[in-house]
Amino acid sequence: MRINVNNLSFGYDYRTVLKDVSFKLESGDFLVIIGNNGSGKSTLIKCLLGINKVPNKKIYLDDININDYRRWINIGYVPQKFDDFNYEFPITVNEILSVSKYGKITEDERLIWLDKLGILELQNENINNLSGGQLQRVFIVRALVNKPKLLILDEPTVGVDSTNIERFYNTINDLNKMGVTVILITHDIKSSKANFSHIMHLYNGTAVMKKIDRNVGDSS
Amino acid sequence: MMIAMSFFRAIVEREFMQFALITGLLIGFLAPLIGSFVVIRRLSLIADTLSHFSLAGIAIGLYFINILGVGFLSDPLYLGMLFAVIGSLIIELLRNYYKNYKEISMPIVISLGTALSALFISLSGGFTSSVYNYLFGSILTVGRVFTFIIIGVTILISGLLVVFYKQMVIISFDESYAKLLGIRVNIFQFFTTIILALVVSLSIETVGVLLVSSLMIIPVAAAMKIGKSFKNTLFLAIIFSEISVVMGLWLSFELSFPSGATIVLFNISIFLVVIILRRLIKRKNLRDNESEALL
Repeated sequence: MRINVNNLSFGYDYRTVLKDVSFKLESGDFLVIIGNNGSGKSTLIKCLLGINKVPNKKIYLDDININDYRRWINIGYVPQKFDDFNYEFPITVNEILSVSKYGKITEDERLIWLDKLGILELQNENINNLSGGQLQRVFIVRALVNKPKLLILDEPTVGVDSTNIERFYNTINDLNKMGVTVILITHDIKSSKANFSHIMHLYNGTAVMKKIDRNVGDSS
Repeated sequence: MMIAMSFFRAIVEREFMQFALITGLLIGFLAPLIGSFVVIRRLSLIADTLSHFSLAGIAIGLYFINILGVGFLSDPLYLGMLFAVIGSLIIELLRNYYKNYKEISMPIVISLGTALSALFISLSGGFTSSVYNYLFGSILTVGRVFTFIIIGVTILISGLLVVFYKQMVIISFDESYAKLLGIRVNIFQFFTTIILALVVSLSIETVGVLLVSSLMIIPVAAAMKIGKSFKNTLFLAIIFSEISVVMGLWLSFELSFPSGATIVLFNISIFLVVIILRRLIKRKNLRDNESEALL
């Protein structure tokens, strides 16, 4: 997915959080966003997801003004916390995935995603019996089942053990190679295996973006 | 054995028993089904709120019929249904008004409903037996028309649920994710609340205003502690609810107990048995694991 952000400023009530942020991403780009707490990372993501309403002509997704954008299933999102999810009522991993799925995905594809993230054996498990890291991976698969063209990941590997972090980045890098645009927020850029093409520093709402030479041929 | 025989004979021979059984079984199916989505969304108090507001409609209906002699409202329950819908709309309005204290909407609507009820019950001749029936239910007196309404509503709601199952489940479990998928959450919530209002006002006939929420919430509360999956939990909740309806109906017929109270007490008993059994099984598993670990 192509993303175009033009001079975006955004604030809550009287506080300005994003100041004049502009950037462009092409299909297959991989952007890593870093910045301190309160630097505006989550606000920027909420703008891109249409949760924060922005004025016209500030954000374009695939050349469509975000306020006119309707194909939201093209965007997969893994939030940092799942506070919005209502736990305790029984529901299995498979049940969550099957109601979350809007695009065309076959049974095989679903199993492949579960396997890639190492949670295939949990598919019939009640999510209330899962650990934090396992749950995190279920939500990552949920973001993938609709075959997104843009993946937005907000600190996706918090609570996930190192083996599965590696699996996770392998999957994300593979998807990115297939043309999926990825935006990743992380604190731990060094230990992440993300094969990114751009990096953005957010500092008090001001963005500085750099293009990075990719590790060509690095498939890990 | 003899007692059970007379109950079955009554069902075969007496029309009022057939109506009571059909109504009971259908409400016993609908209430926990809708109740599950209510519980997931942490809106357990909404059923009580709507039933109290519905009572205001019934009281005003009684006033129109008994005092003003307005005949077009043959049954005050129709006005009660209308009020349940109005109450649900007020709740949705207030929930959007107090974003972080959404539950404030409930006591406001309950108070308004109860105050209006008290006022119009007193205006329409005070505490009569029909008022008692609306408060505590009278399933044995439901008529043919009401039975057909229940059948229609059950078919309608089941159909809607089959068609919009995915959306309902996503919205209930994860509203913000549903918004991300482009589901028009507000419209869905609007219609589900209206459906809830309908089910609540129809359940009043079975167990009464004061006990409606128990039909929707208690079987679900029991089922969610032992359900293996979402569908399994819905299934268990409906089974618990139906057992309570049949047993409650039987006891109330044989012993002339109030039907609503008997059904609700059966629901509570099942809930207690489930909670206690689950505890015992858990403790036994823990002990088994410990002794295995020792070996």
